[in-house]
Amino acid sequence: MLPWLPENISTYGGEIDSLFMLIFWITTIVFVAVQGALIWFLFKYRAQPGRRATYSHGNNTLEIAWTIAPSIILVVLALLSRATWDEIKAEIPPHDVTVRVYAKQFNWDFIYPGPDGAFDTADDKTIENELTVPVNKVVKLEMLSRDVIHSLFVPVLRFKQDTMPGRQIDGWFEATKTGEYEIPCAELCGFGHSGMLGHLKVLSDQDYATWVGEQWSN
Amino acid sequence: MSEAAVAHGHDEHHQGGFVSTYLFSMDHKMIGKQFLLMSLFMMIIGGLLALMVRWQLAYPEQPVPGLGWVPEPYLYEGIIPPETYNMLFTMHATIMIFFVVIPILVGAFGNFLIPLMIGTRDMAFPVLNMLSFWIAAFAGVLMISSFFVEGGAAAGGWTAYAPLSAAEVYTGVGLGQDLWIVSLVVLGISSMMGSINYITTVINMRAPGMTMFRMPLVIWSLFITATLLLLALPELTAAMAMLLFDRRFGTSFFLPETGGEPILWQHLFWFFGHPEVYILILPAMGVASEILAVFARKPIFGYRAMAVAMIAIAFLGWVVWGHHMFQSGMNPTMGMAFMTTTMVIAVPSAIKTFNWLGTLWGGSITFQTPMLHALAFVSMFVIGGLSGIYMAATPVDIFIHDTYFIVGHIHYVVFGGSVFAIFGAVSYWFPKMYGRMMNEALGKIHFFGTLVFFNLTFFPMHIIGVGGHMRRIYNPLQYEFLQPLQHWNEIMTIGAIGLGLFQIVFAVNFFWSMFAGAKAPQNPWNANTLEWEAPTPPPHGNFIEIPTVYRGPYEYSVPGMKEDWLPQAQPGTGVGVAH
Amino acid sequence: MSRATNTAAVHDLPREEPLRALHVVPRKGGRGGPPSRSLKVSNARVAVAMLLVAETMFFAGLIGAYLVFRVGSVAWPPPGLPALPLGVTWVNTVLLAISGVTMFAALRGIRRGDEAVLRRGLLWTALLGGVFVVVQGSEWVGLVRHGLQLSSGPYGGTFYTLIGMHAAHVVGAMGWVFFVFAMARRRAYTAKAHDAVEACAIYWWYVCVLWAALFALVYH
Repeated sequence: MLPWLPENISTYGGEIDSLFMLIFWITTIVFVAVQGALIWFLFKYRAQPGRRATYSHGNNTLEIAWTIAPSIILVVLALLSRATWDEIKAEIPPHDVTVRVYAKQFNWDFIYPGPDGAFDTADDKTIENELTVPVNKVVKLEMLSRDVIHSLFVPVLRFKQDTMPGRQIDGWFEATKTGEYEIPCAELCGFGHSGMLGHLKVLSDQDYATWVGEQWSN
Repeated sequence: MSEAAVAHGHDEHHQGGFVSTYLFSMDHKMIGKQFLLMSLFMMIIGGLLALMVRWQLAYPEQPVPGLGWVPEPYLYEGIIPPETYNMLFTMHATIMIFFVVIPILVGAFGNFLIPLMIGTRDMAFPVLNMLSFWIAAFAGVLMISSFFVEGGAAAGGWTAYAPLSAAEVYTGVGLGQDLWIVSLVVLGISSMMGSINYITTVINMRAPGMTMFRMPLVIWSLFITATLLLLALPELTAAMAMLLFDRRFGTSFFLPETGGEPILWQHLFWFFGHPEVYILILPAMGVASEILAVFARKPIFGYRAMAVAMIAIAFLGWVVWGHHMFQSGMNPTMGMAFMTTTMVIAVPSAIKTFNWLGTLWGGSITFQTPMLHALAFVSMFVIGGLSGIYMAATPVDIFIHDTYFIVGHIHYVVFGGSVFAIFGAVSYWFPKMYGRMMNEALGKIHFFGTLVFFNLTFFPMHIIGVGGHMRRIYNPLQYEFLQPLQHWNEIMTIGAIGLGLFQIVFAVNFFWSMFAGAKAPQNPWNANTLEWEAPTPPPHGNFIEIPTVYRGPYEYSVPGMKEDWLPQAQPGTGVGVAH
Repeated sequence: MSRATNTAAVHDLPREEPLRALHVVPRKGGRGGPPSRSLKVSNARVAVAMLLVAETMFFAGLIGAYLVFRVGSVAWPPPGLPALPLGVTWVNTVLLAISGVTMFAALRGIRRGDEAVLRRGLLWTALLGGVFVVVQGSEWVGLVRHGLQLSSGPYGGTFYTLIGMHAAHVVGAMGWVFFVFAMARRRAYTAKAHDAVEACAIYWWYVCVLWAALFALVYH
């Protein structure tokens, strides 16, 4: 694993990371092979007195070979990506917690439905810039924007989704480790884009229950 | 008009005064040089903007050295405020893409090379050609002037995502964004005129014997690029018109409060924007192909495969736009479709790379400045191509989308690819353009400095991108998880300063050689293509007599011949007619 | 080695490659282009064809946006906004169609070398185009009175933008027709050399056909 990649604390992050590493190794091998061949050719075929360049217009077998080889690799990559993509984006699995996210210049509003489990009721609670979720539970996010496009990015979850004014986009994650993590905005949203920063608090079941109790006690 | 009449008409122009020779010239070569000088000037501006961006990222909110005099609200005693920062990267990208890379590759070299390399006296429509330059120059003036209006220049990114760009209230930028839109519409008109001219010229005005499949690859690339520009820019113009109407006339194409669709802008923009990426790289591929064959003294490997690969790119370029929008909320099924087409379009680029290697294989390679740049093009383009695969894989894109990884990727393609090709093209065709050779020692100093500092500037972008560093953020220190990566930002900024300093060497070499370089022979590189048949520098009307073409452009090292080159225009003996 | 240019006879040329059709096919009663190689398609024709390609992409962008809104909306026109007037627009459509015919007459005139017919045809074409624009203007005045404005959501915005852009093209094409007319008065065209007339005619017909498409799409 590359040292710069942030820690992964989501259930599907591992799949993304292993796909990343697969591409990393494929591209590294191709990189070394191509640049190696380039440098080797430059040395071996440098102009020398008395030697003439080979007169060749190409080779059809080679053309076919280097058309098919990258095609196969890329098709395989596309197929491998497909399953992970569908898992993350296509359908939301059964979820335990639903939070509505309203992005605005330059804050994240996280809205909890409260004890009745329904939004747009009196017991909804809006918490600015702090997303509190239980660990090992599927969390569904209903993402909206009040003004321009923002993008909810949680590096440790490998989660990123644009929030679009005028439409609701759903997403989900399941955090596997408790702690506090950062939620930057990843889409340019105006002069305050940098510093539009929320925090994700992943709590143990017990702590989460306590937190819920505190929030809706009065 | 007959060719004789054309030549005659040109002779009359040639005796004209300063204004008709240097300003409102209708000679394609002079227009090409005008594009080159304008774009090199714009490159200085674009580069300085980038240096300010880099300064802010490495040393956030510290005064930029030497800029204490800039008045508020642009800078505050040298400190860049966030509003200005957004303008800097927006205008950097806009200028570099629309006013540097396209005008140099297409405007300057397209103009200069097409008539010379297909063997004709000028473009099909010289007046249209002149207008196309002056309209582009006017667009440049509009773009630069947007810095000086109230509210400053556009600050919504070069992609101008709506609704951020569609209403003043979101950015505080008023007239500046309008000028940005109008400037690009005007530039689009200029490009359309140029494209029509290039396409007509290539289709109709090739010298006798110059069949399509005897055209040099750089002409193929410019022909395909002109086609892409002709198709892509009007569609952008339509989108720009809608954006302007939203801003000024109360329509609601992209504003959701009144029923608009923000994502429509992204579809319209990237439908133009992806072909645009190939517009930036295809002519560079053509340039590299010319230079590699000449300096390896070998026929280009797989000429037809190279031409067909470019045609394939031109077609596939229209069905991949959605890969810029994987995280936009677009239907995930469409994401799969776009991923597949994106993987497919990587194949022609791979084919081209392997064919360049094939061209070097068995060659007799010399390492003059043009060749060094062409080799760097291949090497850097490989990195830019490979890093693209990460984004194409949709799940990986979830993480690296809108991070510095993509910034690194685009710079390896557009700087590592296109700009190295531009330096290669300038040094390769300089003798024909100005009748003098560029200085080889200065050329090599510039090349190695640029190569080293380019990689120092842009390679770490992949690393911090993997670390999650978002693009377009003003101050990375605001984020805890980015603080361990901050030393990379400083390294990149030092790299960028070095990169900028080495461009002074290029500027000195360019202008010094223009006036004091060694006189260039007619064909300094012993190349086959038709431009070297013309006198140096070519007069108005180019050729003393229109050449006849007997063979393909890359007949180098033909067996049984004393010389290792066999020009396209040399009467045939049956040798080297393979193409 | 002498590599000066040469004047080899045509039979010395090495074998021709494909795509020959694009460049040298002599044509009876050629219509311009460099006489040294009579071109199958003149520069002017290629250029105007390319211009139409560009125009088509421009309108494809606008029409694409229009369709996104129209297909995506429940009611079109939305409640409270007026439907578009069909009757007067039908008349207008016929006027524009006739202008296409007068343009054809003008072109046929100059092909026979009859400059008077050319001038008359051009004037009628421009006149009909002008009437078309004026009628459309009055239609817009009526629509604005009925509450349809640029700011009336996507319905108003797409209508005025799309139809307005077309009207601007009619006005531009009229300018081109007037330019050709002025050149015709200076006797610039002959039966053999009138590429500019042909280019202008092709553009005019394009604007007419584009109108037919927009009329079918937007008004129905």
